[in-house]
Amino acid sequence: MAPWRRKADGTGERASEADTIVPTPTQKHSICMVSDFFYPNMGGVESHIYQLSQCLMEKGHKVVIATHAYGRRKGVRYLTGGLKVYYLPLQVMYNQSTATSCFHSLPLLRCVFVREAVTVVHAHSSFSAMAHDALFHAKTMGLNTVFTDHSLFGFADMSSVLTNKLLTVSLCDTTHIVCVSYTSKENTVLRAALDPRIVSVIPNAVDPTDFTPDPARAPRGRITVVVISRLVYRKGIDLLGGIIPELCLRHPDLDFLIGGEGPKRIVLEEVREKYQLHDRVRLLGALEHREVRDVLVQGHIFLNTSLTEAFCMAIVEGASCGLQVVSTRVGGIPEVLPDDLILLCDPTVRSLSDGLEAVIGRLRRGAVASPAAVHARVRSLYTWRDVAERTEKVYDRVCVEEVLPLAGRLLRLRDHCGGVAGSIFAFVAVLNFLFLLLLRWLVPDQGMDRALDASGPQALWGPPQRDPPAEEAGEGSQPQRDPWSDGAPTAEGPLV
Amino acid sequence: MDDEKYTDINGKPITLDYQRHSSFCTEFIVSSPKVSIGTVMVATSFVWIFAYAVFCLTDNTAVLSSAIIITLIGMMLYIHFVKIDHESLLVIGSLGIQLSSSYASGREHTSFIEMSKIKDIVINEAIYMHQIIYYLCILLRDPADASAVSSVVPLFPSSKPRLNCLVKVYKTCQEIISKC
Repeated sequence: MAPWRRKADGTGERASEADTIVPTPTQKHSICMVSDFFYPNMGGVESHIYQLSQCLMEKGHKVVIATHAYGRRKGVRYLTGGLKVYYLPLQVMYNQSTATSCFHSLPLLRCVFVREAVTVVHAHSSFSAMAHDALFHAKTMGLNTVFTDHSLFGFADMSSVLTNKLLTVSLCDTTHIVCVSYTSKENTVLRAALDPRIVSVIPNAVDPTDFTPDPARAPRGRITVVVISRLVYRKGIDLLGGIIPELCLRHPDLDFLIGGEGPKRIVLEEVREKYQLHDRVRLLGALEHREVRDVLVQGHIFLNTSLTEAFCMAIVEGASCGLQVVSTRVGGIPEVLPDDLILLCDPTVRSLSDGLEAVIGRLRRGAVASPAAVHARVRSLYTWRDVAERTEKVYDRVCVEEVLPLAGRLLRLRDHCGGVAGSIFAFVAVLNFLFLLLLRWLVPDQGMDRALDASGPQALWGPPQRDPPAEEAGEGSQPQRDPWSDGAPTAEGPLV
Repeated sequence: MDDEKYTDINGKPITLDYQRHSSFCTEFIVSSPKVSIGTVMVATSFVWIFAYAVFCLTDNTAVLSSAIIITLIGMMLYIHFVKIDHESLLVIGSLGIQLSSSYASGREHTSFIEMSKIKDIVINEAIYMHQIIYYLCILLRDPADASAVSSVVPLFPSSKPRLNCLVKVYKTCQEIISKC
């Protein structure tokens, strides 16, 4: 343990949680998930954080989430099962990501970490500046850190070079890193120059009860290809624009159903206009997560044209609804589904068209597995409980490890990140540490009230499966009356 | 009453007095420390040193006299409009809740909320400056819809006591409210 940290403990700053600071592998953790991306924003990272938190809470851990404020949604909110979400008022810069200055988020994040008695800080997504800030602050405060990377990056262009440098700095003293596929692990290890032993692979999951097949909804006599993705370059929408006219010409009974919104929508609209395919190519626009299943079950084939993908949730969702999946062979996609559930093609118009042709032929012959059979196989492949169990093992491993003291951190930064960047960030780390000392002097740790737990071993709301409160406790989110009743255990011991 | 030490969220000591007039009526008074002479001295000397620096550069005596006036008026405004010495909460079952705050100058500000308008009293969490704090608040009933909350009135907004003090007030308030 860091010398300054030991001193802090000696003065009784965190005396009430002294037993939770040196945890044993069997004990329950107090986890703070940090990411810029959380509901009401929609996407893969958001649902990953939510589902993982719910399953960890079911296992008896305490979980809180910190994200930035979305519009009028700021302050503290509770979600299902007492999942506490801090919407911190930090300035959003670009694409729902906060500005990174390494310092301005420290007071609020420190407040969250201290009052919730956090033992593990788990940051998500390398696009999230707040996640990197939280890692930085957590290390300064001597907390164990876990980082989950959800995306793949290139190495060649200018922006990747810069991002990779920042990632190297951010991850070089992070205790453990989680990637969603082996391809993603390889990519992250190379980008951030990491020791592969501290990188684990835990795939994403889907909720199989949300994505059930419904063959009656698919139109008879016609074949529908479903595409659900954001309409952006990364998702290969230009390829899709090449495939559509070719296949529509060859198969008069083929329809396309495209869900999602984005700057590349114009490409698809042009194609539709040019080849007069208004009745056969339907663009649904942005979809809410709960509408996705309704769209999926209207089709026979799920097509994914991504150019890069760490782990493709969409194809699992498609297969879970019993669709035949055709996808590009990029990134971590080949790892996701067994070979008989997916047809992989090269990311070219030719290869994807051939792949679709093959599947259409199989569909016409009736030589495909029934949707129910496909669903039954996918259902056991990826479950959130499994993800939570594996993440729990990561936490068990992480919490017995030592956090580098400041001097060690500085050396590590200098060694791993090169002379110039390393020195600059070592200097920033020192400033951050001084800022933390200043904050500790202004508002001492014992001057902050410990929050009452809504989840975890001392949960006042009970386990989520027994007593689920309302979906969300609205604007005036209020603790229930019971927590304050006599003898209720609190973070500061029983109340008088 | 009890010897428990209460502090506000910044660690300054505050005192909580309560008088139980009857089982239906209790008054809580939270008192913050008075303005210390040290604070006044620091603020005054800060303004005056600044004024003297400006005077050295400009050689204009109006600067000095305006500094004196600014200090005097500032102090008057501060004790009259900003500095609150006591905040009290008088809960009378079946009648309502009276909130009053007395300023350092002696000015008092009192408001009364009828019991029919009050939905509940709760302890809530909020982000305040660069901290996350607990505070006690009254939920006002929406006249249109009995189950909805139309607005929230924070209690002890100036002294901002910590959780242990809030819980004490909360429990007594709930006892009284639940009786009627």
